[in-house]
Formats: sequence, C-alpha cells, structure tokens
Amino acid sequence: MDRALFPDGLERCSFGKFVLWMGFVSAFFLFGLYAMLLIFAKGIVVTGLDNYFGFGLWITFDLAVIALGAGAFFTGFLKYILKIDQLKNIINLTVIVGFICYSGAMLVLTMDIGQPIRAWFGYWHPNVHSMLTEVIFCITCYCLVLVIEFVPLVLEQKQLNKIPFLHHLAHNMHVNMALFAGIGAFLSTFHQGSLGGMYGVLIGRPYAFREGFFIWPWTFFLFVLSAVGCGPIFTVLCCTLMEKMTGRKLVDFKTKALMGKIAGTMLTVYIFFKILDTYAWANNYLPSIGMTFDQMFYGLVYGKWLMFTEIILCGLVPAIMLITPSIRNNPTLLYTAGILDCIGVSLNRYLFTVQSIAMPILPFDTWQIYAPNWAEWATSGMIVAYGVLVMSLSYRYLPVFPQERGMNK
Amino acid sequence: MAHGATKEFKVTWGMVIDLDKCTGCGACMTACQVENNIAPMVDASNKMRTLSWMLVFELSNKKSGAEAEVAYLPRPCMQCGNPACVPVCPVIATEKNEEGGIVSQVYPRCIGCRYCMAACPYHARYFNWEDPIFPKGMEKALSPSTSARPRGVVEKCNFCHTRFMQAKDKARQDGGNPEGLADGAYMPACAEICPTGAISFGDVKNKEHKVFDLAQGKDAFRLLEKLGLNPQVYYVSKREWVRKLGDNYAATGKPGAAKKHS
Amino acid sequence: MGLDRRGFVKIVVGGVAGTLFTPVIWQSLDDVSIWSQNWPWIPRLNKGEVKAKAALSKLCPAGCAVKVKTVGGLPFAVVGNTANPMSKGGVCPVCAAGAQLMYSPARVKSPLKKVGEGKFEAIKWEDAEALLVEKLTALKGQNGKIAAINGDETGSAGEVISGLLAGLGNSGYYMMPGEKFVAEKGVKLMGGSGQPGFDIAGADLVLMIGADALDSWGTTVANQKAFAATRPTGAAATAKFVYAGPVLNHSAAVSDKFLPVPPQATAAFALGLANLLINAGAVSSASDFAEYKALAAKYTVEEVEKATGLKAESMKALVDLIKAAKSPVVIAGASFGQGAGALDFVAGASLNVLLGRVGSGMTLLPAAPKAVAGATSSDKDAASFLAEVATGKAAPGALIVYEANPAYALPQADDMAKTLGNIAFKVSFSTYMDETAALCDLILPAPHPYERFDDALNPYGVAKPTYLAGKPVVKKPVQDCKDPVDVLLGAASKLGLSLGFDTYADVIQAKAKALGADFDALAAGGIWTGEAKGGSLNLGASALAKVAVAKTDDKTLAVAPVSNQANGSATLATPPANLLTVRETELSGKDLIVQMNAATAKKAGVAEGNKVKLSAGKGELKARVHLNEGVAPGTVAVLLGFGRSAWDEFTKGKGDNVYKILTVSDEAGTGLKVWAGSTVTVAKV
Repeated sequence: MDRALFPDGLERCSFGKFVLWMGFVSAFFLFGLYAMLLIFAKGIVVTGLDNYFGFGLWITFDLAVIALGAGAFFTGFLKYILKIDQLKNIINLTVIVGFICYSGAMLVLTMDIGQPIRAWFGYWHPNVHSMLTEVIFCITCYCLVLVIEFVPLVLEQKQLNKIPFLHHLAHNMHVNMALFAGIGAFLSTFHQGSLGGMYGVLIGRPYAFREGFFIWPWTFFLFVLSAVGCGPIFTVLCCTLMEKMTGRKLVDFKTKALMGKIAGTMLTVYIFFKILDTYAWANNYLPSIGMTFDQMFYGLVYGKWLMFTEIILCGLVPAIMLITPSIRNNPTLLYTAGILDCIGVSLNRYLFTVQSIAMPILPFDTWQIYAPNWAEWATSGMIVAYGVLVMSLSYRYLPVFPQERGMNK
Repeated sequence: MAHGATKEFKVTWGMVIDLDKCTGCGACMTACQVENNIAPMVDASNKMRTLSWMLVFELSNKKSGAEAEVAYLPRPCMQCGNPACVPVCPVIATEKNEEGGIVSQVYPRCIGCRYCMAACPYHARYFNWEDPIFPKGMEKALSPSTSARPRGVVEKCNFCHTRFMQAKDKARQDGGNPEGLADGAYMPACAEICPTGAISFGDVKNKEHKVFDLAQGKDAFRLLEKLGLNPQVYYVSKREWVRKLGDNYAATGKPGAAKKHS
Repeated sequence: MGLDRRGFVKIVVGGVAGTLFTPVIWQSLDDVSIWSQNWPWIPRLNKGEVKAKAALSKLCPAGCAVKVKTVGGLPFAVVGNTANPMSKGGVCPVCAAGAQLMYSPARVKSPLKKVGEGKFEAIKWEDAEALLVEKLTALKGQNGKIAAINGDETGSAGEVISGLLAGLGNSGYYMMPGEKFVAEKGVKLMGGSGQPGFDIAGADLVLMIGADALDSWGTTVANQKAFAATRPTGAAATAKFVYAGPVLNHSAAVSDKFLPVPPQATAAFALGLANLLINAGAVSSASDFAEYKALAAKYTVEEVEKATGLKAESMKALVDLIKAAKSPVVIAGASFGQGAGALDFVAGASLNVLLGRVGSGMTLLPAAPKAVAGATSSDKDAASFLAEVATGKAAPGALIVYEANPAYALPQADDMAKTLGNIAFKVSFSTYMDETAALCDLILPAPHPYERFDDALNPYGVAKPTYLAGKPVVKKPVQDCKDPVDVLLGAASKLGLSLGFDTYADVIQAKAKALGADFDALAAGGIWTGEAKGGSLNLGASALAKVAVAKTDDKTLAVAPVSNQANGSATLATPPANLLTVRETELSGKDLIVQMNAATAKKAGVAEGNKVKLSAGKGELKARVHLNEGVAPGTVAVLLGFGRSAWDEFTKGKGDNVYKILTVSDEAGTGLKVWAGSTVTVAKV
C-alpha cells in the first residue's frame, strides 16, 4: 500500500503488520502523553519527586540518553573531520539515534521544570557561571544541528527526492555536512563536559563534588569520555536490535566492530581516569570534610555494590572486552560488552543524580529513599516510545542503511 | 568558576541561635509561615512536600533514661557567604549581591529547575509543589510583606527581607544611617517572636551588635563548616554532643575542628 | 499605488522577521512570564496602613498579651507586646497563628439549630436567642435541671454564667478540669486556701515535677521569659532547671537535667526526694513534720528506684543541686495540665514547705473581688458531673457549654460524648465547630479573641495576683457572631433576672474597677498585679499517707499524654498556620504516632513503625509506634490534640484522641476524679 514510499529496491513488512506495530508502540506513547498533560495541568506534584529529591528519574534519564546519544557527534566527528570513511555505513543511524535522544531529553526537561512557560529564560537571563546554562545552550543548539543533519536524510526519501529543489537542498546540505559535524562535536563536547561539571560543582554534595582541578578539566572530561565511550556502541546495539526485529542485515559486522573499538578505546581512557578520580576523592577529599568512603553508602538501595558494578563490572570489564580484538570480533561478546558499557554509564549518571542527594549531609539527618512514581515512568516510557516510532518510520521510508541492499540480496 | 569565593560585605546580617534555649515550641515556624504567606497544607505530615522556610530539627544524643538529651535546632536559610545555590542557578533567579549578604530569590525569574535544591546541603530551599490556595477568606489575613508564589518556583528564607527594607526606610525617615542600622532595628519574624529569645539577629561585623560577640563565643559553631560554605547563621550550645552534630567528624572522630570566621 | 498579494505577503513576512530583531516580542514574552506570577487564583496582598494593636489573645489556655498587626484594618500577624511585663514580647505558637484563625474554615458562621443527626440549619440571632430563653424558662427554678460547663478558667464570663445559673435556681455550674482546680484542693489539704502561684523568675533552681512549665503549663510565655532571663546567650546560666516527668518534653529539652519518672510515680518521686532532703538535714517547722518525716522515710532510694527506675545517683545529684540552691522552687502538675490528683500536687508542693519556700517560691493568691454579685464557684469539675449524668445521679434538662469541649477533652471521651448527647437541650457558645458543638442542639457562634472584649484573672501559675483585659482589634467580626456573655445577659433580662450588667464590656470594666485597675490601660496592653497573701501551709502529711503507687505489669503501660502547645488545646484544634510544627515522629498522614523506649517496646512486643491498638476501659486508640529513649520505662507517650471528629480538613480524622483511652479513678482521701497515670494495654494490629 505504501510501497511507493519505500527506499529504492528495499523490502519492508506489510502495511498491516506495520500499523499493528505502530499501534502497539503508540499505546505506550499515548499513556505517557496522558501523564505529560496531567503534569502540565497539575504540576510536578503528581510525580514522586519531593523536597529531598528535586532530581530523580527524569534527570537520570536525560543524562543517560544524552550520553547514549553521543554516538552522533562522535561518529560524525570521526567520519567528517577525521575522514574515517567506513563509518558512512552507520552514520545515518547515529544521527537518528542522537536526534531521538536529544529531542526526547529536551521534552523531558520541559516537563521537569516547574515553570515550563519560562523555559527560555536560560537564554534571556543566562547565568554564565552556571553549568546548567551551558547545558541549556549547548543542548538546544546541538539539537538544532541534529535536525539539520537529519533533514537531508528525510529529503532523500524516494518521493521527496524527486522534487528538484529538495534534491538540491539535500545535496548541498550533504556537501557542507563536515561543517555541521564540526559544530556538533564542539557543542557536544561542551555540554557533555558541563553535565559532569553540573555535579562536580555541587559543593554541598560530597558524593559528587570535586575540588578545583578535579572539576575542570577532570569531571568535564570524565563525562565527555564516558559519553563517547558508550554512544557509538549504543548505536551498534540499536542497529543489531533492528536487525533482529526485521530479520534483515543492515550494517556489516566490520563496521560494528570498528564502532566497538572506538567506544572501547574511549571507555578505557575514561575508566582509567575514573578510577584515579574515585581513589583521590575517597582518600583526600572525603576525609578533608570529615566524611568517610563508607558514609557514602547505605543499605542495599544505596550500597557499595552500585559503585563497584558501575566501575568494575560495567566499566573495566567491557573496556577490556572492547579493546581486545579477539573478544570484540565475536558478535555475542561485542554486544555483551556493549550492553555492560551502556548500563555502566547510565548507572554513573544515576548515582551522581540520586545517590548524591539521598545522602544525609547534616549529621542529624537520615538517608532518604526515592522511588519514581507512575507519572515519571510513563513519561520516560513515552520518550522511548517516541524514539521507537521515529526509528520505525525512518527505517521504513528513509534510506538509512547504505549497505542494506547489498547485504540482503 | 564562581566557586570558592566569599564575597565580602560591610554589613553581614547573621543569626546566632542559642540551642540551649530553644524549647522546640515552633513559634518561629508559625511566625515565618504567617509573615511569608505560606498556605497551610492539608497533609502537613508529609514533610517531603511541605514548605518550611524555617524548620526546627530534633537532635538526640541517642542515650537512654536519665542520660537522654534532646536539642532543637531551628534551621533558616544559612545565607552562606559562599553559597552553593547561587552559582548553579541557570537564570540568575538567586543572587548574593545586596549589602547585608542576604541570598535573594527572584520568584518571577525562577524556572523551577531545582538545581539549587540539589546544591544546598541544608535543605533550606523548597519547591512550591502546589499553588498557594488558602482556605476561603484566609487570604484576607495575608501579610503585606511577601507576594504569594505560584507553584513551580523555588523559595526560601530571606531573613524577612521586606523588614530589612522597612528598617532602612525608617532609618532614612528618622535621619539615621540606613547602611548602619542599630542593633534590633531589623529583626526577622522568627527572631522577633521566639519566646525564649533563643534567636539573636544582627550585623555580625558590627561590634555594636550583640551577635558580633556571640558569633565568636567559644561555644559558637556553624553547620557543616568544613564544606566551606561560610554560613551567616551561627549556633551556640554549651553541650559538646550538640556542637559535635554541627559537622561531620566520621573521618577524624574528633569534634571541634579549628573554627573559621568570615 | 495599490498593494498586491505579493506585496502584502512581503510586508507581513518582513514585518514578522523585523519584529523578531527588536526587543518588543522578547520583552513582551518576559513580561508575560513575570505576569505569570499573578494567575487569578494566586491571592493578592492587602493594601493599607500597617498598625499594631494591643490584644488579649486567649487562644492558648493562659492567654498571651500580644499586639495584632493589621493592614488596612485586617489582622495578619501577631507579635509580642514588649511593654507587657508578663509576656515581655513573647508569643506562644498558638497565638502566633491567631490572625489566620479568624478565617479558620472551622468557624461557626452563624447561629445553628440542629435539625437531625449531624445536620444543622442556620437561623437568625433573634430566633436563636428566643429558643435559648424558651428552654431556660421551662426549667427555671428547678434545681439540677440547668447546668453549665465552663472551659475558661480566667475570664469573668464564669461569673456571669454562674450568676445566671444561681438566679435561675440552679447550682450546676462546672469547670472543665484543669490544674487550678486540683491545686486549690491540694492547698486545702495542706491547711491553706487560695490559688497557689510559683515564682520562676525569682528562683535559682526550678524543679518541675510533671509540669511542662516551658511549653504547656501555667503562663507558658512568662515562664519561658523567666527561663530565658537566667540563660544569657554566651554567658553563664544563673539558674538551674530540672524536669522530672514521663517524657523528655520541651521543658526537659532545655533543662539542665531530665529525670524520667513514670506518670503514676510522681508522688513517690517527690516523697523519695523529701526523704533524701530530710536525711541531708532539711527540717520544717510545719506542724506535721514528724508525721511527714516518718512517711517520707518509707520512700527509700530502693523504693524510688522500684517505682521510677531512677538510680540512687540521679536522686543524690538532684539533692545536691537543691541543697546548693538559695531559692529553689518545686512545681508539680500533670504533664498535660489536667487529670492529676491533688496528692501529686501536695507531694510536690510539700517540698516547697520543707525547703521553707512558701510565701516566696510558692505563693498563695488572695480571693479576688467579684464583679457579678450572684456569682458562685464550682466545687466539682465537668468530668465528675458528666459521670453523675451517666449514672443517672444528675439529670439536667439543659446544658450550657461555654468555651469548652467536654465531648473531646474528658477521659473516656466517647462515653462522655454519648452522655452529653443524652441531655435534652444543649447549647454551645463556641467560635469553632468543635466536637461538643457538633453534638449540641443550638450553636451560638462566639467571636474570635480579636473580635471581643475579654479578660484574664490569675492565669494559673502566676506568683502574684494578675489581671489582663482586652478589647476587639477589629470593628466587626468575620462571622455573624455575638459575644456569649452579651447573649446570656440578654437572656437573663428576658428571664426577668438582673445581673447588673448589659454587656460583657461592662462586666469587665466593673471587674477592673473592683480590683483597682484601669481598664483602658489594660486594654492598651497593660497589666494589673497585686500582692500575694501571706499564710503558711503544712506538709499535707495526712493526705500523703494515702499515696499509693499504682502497679503496672508487663501487659499494661502507663499513658503519658503529652501536650505541645503548638498543636492546640481541648478547645482549639491545631491551627492551620501551626500544622508544620507537628513532627514526622508525631503524625504520619492519618496515623498518630505514640512513643516508648526500646526496652518498653520489646516488653510490649512491638517495634518501630508497628501499628498498634491501645485500649483501656471502653476506649481504643490506633497508632503507630516510634521508639524514643526519652520516654520513662513502662510508659507510652501519646500526643494530645489529635483525632478530631469535627473542625476542618486540616485536622479532622488526623490521628487519634488520647482522651478516649484515659480512665478515671477516685483518688483516695480527696474525692477527686483522676486520670493522670491511666494504664492501657498495647496490642499489635
């Protein structure tokens, strides 16, 4: 029925099946939309956030997807600036994943702030000292860049591309893509770093705070490195999931392994510095304010196992797996390492967000427990559903994977 | 980075709270709520959602029987010299700029991102979860000093800033010096109402104000001094266990680290 | 020159684009956002001149002399009156919430007539007054048929009510139980007369036995001011404070020493202390010293330890403190201001006699002149009266309730409410829809303290005769109410009775005149004080011989009701502006939280957070457990003021009412009904 819209020479599932799938995903989306409208109408009092947990699932979710979406800028940087040509096989996908992650994060942020009507104040009354200002700037700008990067792909849709103006527009945008990739890399490095700095400057939160040099450049680069250490492999995981679901080959394994190598290298550098950072923090900073490493953890929910999972099991282990060619070149092990890697970085964002503020700093205070409620889950789920919808449409109608035709003959 | 720098002010409004005199009666919290037009909450037992610019904590020495002791600790905003909250605000909705060193909060500017709440270790900042709806008619008893804030913004104690403005105006009218108010000319509602006078208020840099000496007394301390936020609220207690609860000593096990004064 | 379609589009597009480069749109957006502070549902502030007017704020039991701040004539805040020597600029947390209480949703908005179970109909004042007169006319002259319960210990309204009753040939005038009533009984048992007073300001050691003098006993704010004067911040304290009682409460928190004493062992503790003091050389010229000494000798340190759990060292340290003091004073009372027996009072007061402090630390106030000629005093409290009604010994046909809430604040509250409900005609003069008003056939709304004339003579605890009076702060009450005394005086004249006055204001002016005080000065925030009378007391030995330490076993715990002034009182549910002061360890959602120490909890088989049922008599209370090492052994501390069944959304159904599980017993030798030291069984739910 919609065959005329498919990319040249490619097979897609029946329209009925597609509608069923889209309907299934839309159900989640609509449920989240209901929660979102409720939040806009009644305020975030309907969520599980409270006086102690001003930040919760949403901020964790935002930080995690922004890290996971880092594949876009970093792959773009490698492809267009460093001219690693093999990455053209997956570059489109990284752009779409990045676009979904960033636009989704921005949507979550508008819900998260108490006065959505003032969301643009970050531009109008910017506090240049605030890391968050930098994050607001860079995320919104970079989201625009991602739109610009996404547009030519949309214009390459078979029917649209028949319109001469759009065809030329797409072509010209492609020609100048290196420029946008450069801007993207620049903006992203900044806001990924600033996201780290956001926590690093929290002088009243010993779990997150780092002093002087350990804020800048240290936490900045830890966040940048952890993002580029997981973004590329996350794209690979998305791609592989799509392959499993559609039953078609989309990107050759060599490219995937290359992405794994890129992520692994970055992750290795990251984890090395992260371990140093943690050691210095536990042995120098904490005692200086009268606290101990043990005090940073509590019971099972806030136990040390979280930090060990983050740094060792989901940090050091995947780093070694990804930089060891023999492991990396085994698909199962590559994907396993990728999953561990993505969990590790997301856990890192969670710990900085929730553990930091759950901990009693006043000696007479107590640990507080935070549990996101349905409204937070539903809206986060909405973003995931939104991503799946965008991805499904893109896959069905846009020429995302240059190798697809060749690999599925 | 704006961190680590303490901005100096000629006049530094500060509180000295005598914890050995606080009975925990709660009059300060009530006076604060009345002065600052905080609407009553139907379930005020949900402390995770209440707005209490002034909050009285209960401290215990964790002993039993005749050894048991408790102390009550009123916690306003510390008006830190090196505030954790100010530099993080993305929209300059909170500043430490005005003479006196009071950390301001600009409600019409605040976007409600709650980054400042995440930054403040004293939990002095509160997010306005719901619109300020008063029982019918009670809006006629609103204080003229503070506008009611809509939901979605962060608010906090500002040492009853309107009273500061009024005290300065009065000094101008009376031919006095608004930049050098006399001791007691400006008092926040909590300090004014406290029935045991546990809360002293004044310019901690002015020798003529009694808080000048009190803040430097041997039993004076500030909360979490080691973090380096340099609060303008001091506490006094003759009880060592109370002073020990003013900061973290788990790493050293020792109380009473060298005192830092602004 | 025409404008074609293309030109039009150009202008529009160009205009929009151009505007974007001007600040107009951005500035407007900014303005819109700033304006977003002012949604129509965000209340606006009142404008007008700010003034502070003196008022007598009788919201707390003692009454605070305050200044009410108004803006454009509307009260919005309450501050202390620094010129008033009693409050010295202090305000209690309840009076601090006074302005907002004027607009409490629980206020009775007009006269109400009961038309069915829990249903009321608003009626006109003239109809309401006619109904009252009709009911009283029918019962006039039949003694025992008309009764009145007065919850205001200090106001001259009592004189009018009792005078009216006497004029109608009835003697059924009863006070709600309070410390004053019990203390006067105690003084009688010690061979004296009059209301006792305590000079905290003049003492260098204050021993509070049960009495929570720095939060909810006596003239709280004056006590707090006296305490504060001895503790200059940053300098040495000039007086010691010791609290001996069942709970580490607000008074104990700032005291130099806290001695946990279970509520049923108060007298034993005092007599044990007397024994140690006598052993240490204390003597008294009181006629019954020998008898007293012999009695006290039975309260050895071992006996005291058995009764209270206190170690000998603690008692000895206290004796040393007392011996070192030049002007000690001992204050005995129930930790929650009522229900203690006279013997507990006598045991504590006898220490003042033993220490030679009667007339200085502990004083006796002379009887005050009356304004209303026919006024009588009550010799029975409302609890005893309602007990008689329950058993049929008394059968009133009409009951007048003034500023009292017997349906809520008497032991076995549910039974009391039932008994009250059975009286044929009940009228309540109340500002708020409280539990008692909700049971009454006629509710006559009383003005809020800032809307009326009122006075306070000798609030319990003052060392010298003291009189305060106040006039309305606002011109017109918020609701359609009338002063109850004015209504009663009006009714009296319709009943053909003259009490000599037309309005309450006249009564108060006469009272002031009788005392030799200047009403105008009082209404402007002043105070009148007289001199305590002389006279000595004996040690009350013969009464104390009847002291018996109630035994508790593993299955039952002693109840220690705890009163925090901020939570309100019997006649006032927690004010909206005070809700924040209730701790998370006191109330959680709708669950009241009761406290006990870990050892007690273990014995009772409960743990932190458990839901429990406390039961005694026919009453039952549901709560959660919180462990608190500041509670005396074998004791469960229960906060007063919760479990409201009337009032407003802020208080109704929150927590449970401890009065439901307090049980009344007869005190040996004094004929008093007592309920301090009630015991309960605890069961996990």
